[in-house]
Amino acid sequence: MRKIGLIALAAGLCLGPLAALAATQIYDARTKKWVDYDKRKARQYFARNKQVPEAFRRQVVPFRTAEPPGTIIIDGNQHFLYLVQPGGQAIRYGIGVGREGFGWAGIVRIGRTAEWPTWTPPPEMVARDPNAAKWAAGMPGGPDNPLGARALYLYEGENDTIYRIHGTVEPWTIGLDVSSGCIRMNNDDIIDLHSRVKIGAKVIVLMQGAALYKGV
Amino acid sequence: MLATTVALAAEAADLVIAMPNWPSGQATANILKLSIAKKFGLDAEVRELGTINAFVGLDKGEVDIQPEVWRPNFEDLIKKYVTDKGAVVLSGRAVPAWQGLCATPEAVAAGLKTIADLSDPAKTAVLDTDGDGRGEVWIGAPTWLSTGIERVRANSYGYAANVTLVETEEEVAMAAVDAAVATARPMVFYCYAPHHVFELHKLTRIEEPVHDPAKWKIVPADDPLWITKSSAATAWGTAHFHIAYAAAFGKKHPDIAKFLEQVDFSPEEVTAMSYAVEVERQTPPDYAKEWVDGNAARIDGWAKP
Repeated sequence: MRKIGLIALAAGLCLGPLAALAATQIYDARTKKWVDYDKRKARQYFARNKQVPEAFRRQVVPFRTAEPPGTIIIDGNQHFLYLVQPGGQAIRYGIGVGREGFGWAGIVRIGRTAEWPTWTPPPEMVARDPNAAKWAAGMPGGPDNPLGARALYLYEGENDTIYRIHGTVEPWTIGLDVSSGCIRMNNDDIIDLHSRVKIGAKVIVLMQGAALYKGV
Repeated sequence: MLATTVALAAEAADLVIAMPNWPSGQATANILKLSIAKKFGLDAEVRELGTINAFVGLDKGEVDIQPEVWRPNFEDLIKKYVTDKGAVVLSGRAVPAWQGLCATPEAVAAGLKTIADLSDPAKTAVLDTDGDGRGEVWIGAPTWLSTGIERVRANSYGYAANVTLVETEEEVAMAAVDAAVATARPMVFYCYAPHHVFELHKLTRIEEPVHDPAKWKIVPADDPLWITKSSAATAWGTAHFHIAYAAAFGKKHPDIAKFLEQVDFSPEEVTAMSYAVEVERQTPPDYAKEWVDGNAARIDGWAKP
């Protein structure tokens, strides 16, 4: 966890353009197989079905854990976020993550939340992108705001890690690794999650991005 | 006011049982308290104490019983207080403990069964979680002594060359096991028993050559280069934990000392304690009451003169 600050600085603010999209796979719960999933397939699927593939839709799944109900577990590798429920179950949501994953693993907490949050583009984005420059002082919340309908701000102790779990205006990106380090969810899902979480809730980010730990 | 209450409680108690900060130790401390009250009519105070402070208390006559003393972890304390000073007695019985590597069912199905399998990059590639083509293996929390030894073992066996060794908090690793099992993904990780993870999930221990002290050369960890200087290409040696009691207490209450010598928890029972406290979130006193109510004959047997 001591690594968060460093990595956050290295990564810059976590909401960048959706430029490069790396190949990923999705888990098909029915066949228990992993199938290739990329930007093209994601757009096609979304255009055809008006929703993301079944694996990434909000659903209750069996989930045995020692963590108490209310804990959030983020598995960036598989593009799932679990909200632990009583009785060996969890609500599983599909997520989009950064191209390099979260870049760290560890335990944080929900420090605060916001409805229709303001988005402030990072300075380097303002410098290269006139569209972002327009919002250098902060883009008010709304349907076009890239943070989407809700944001959950991840804190380490009393400090904002600058990582957020937030909504998106580009729902087809759920299940993909896009060039930003935050966790994005469909607006319906982030509204649902926001309604269920408590401030202070424990958030466990799994070890995807383990390359970070090489040579420790 | 608080101090007065505590002082009164301490005065009122006939004996003091130290309680460690891990779940099976907490459950055992409370089971001993209730069993001793039931069979010998004595009132015990359960007091939160780390192992080192518990030994100091046992020596000074301020603590009477310590429910779980781990070996070889606390060998230095045992030498000082048990062997040299004779102030503390270790119960002759011990619960065997174990540590090594575990595999989820899908890891076993992918051919990861023995420690030699881990040195095969084609097999460990399935453990990749970050897309670099190399598998990851969690080897423990950064603060544990065992984590460094797992790194030594990975170097000595050779699989450090083809897997990424991950160090992070135990809770993160256990949540990763939960997520891997929930989605039928393979995972290999450091594990130890008794532990509630074996109750949560069906896990297989990775097979290794039996412990050989001749092949287990661990340089003391106060040497900054201890990991590179050490080698260990066999399984860990078996660990144990014992109940300990003050020698003076044993003299004063030979019947209770005899009772403590008879307590024979199995590793499965210790795992169940850990599960009840950690997963089911029962309080140690509640769990202990249920255990004592449900195991009357067993406790009678321990207390038989």
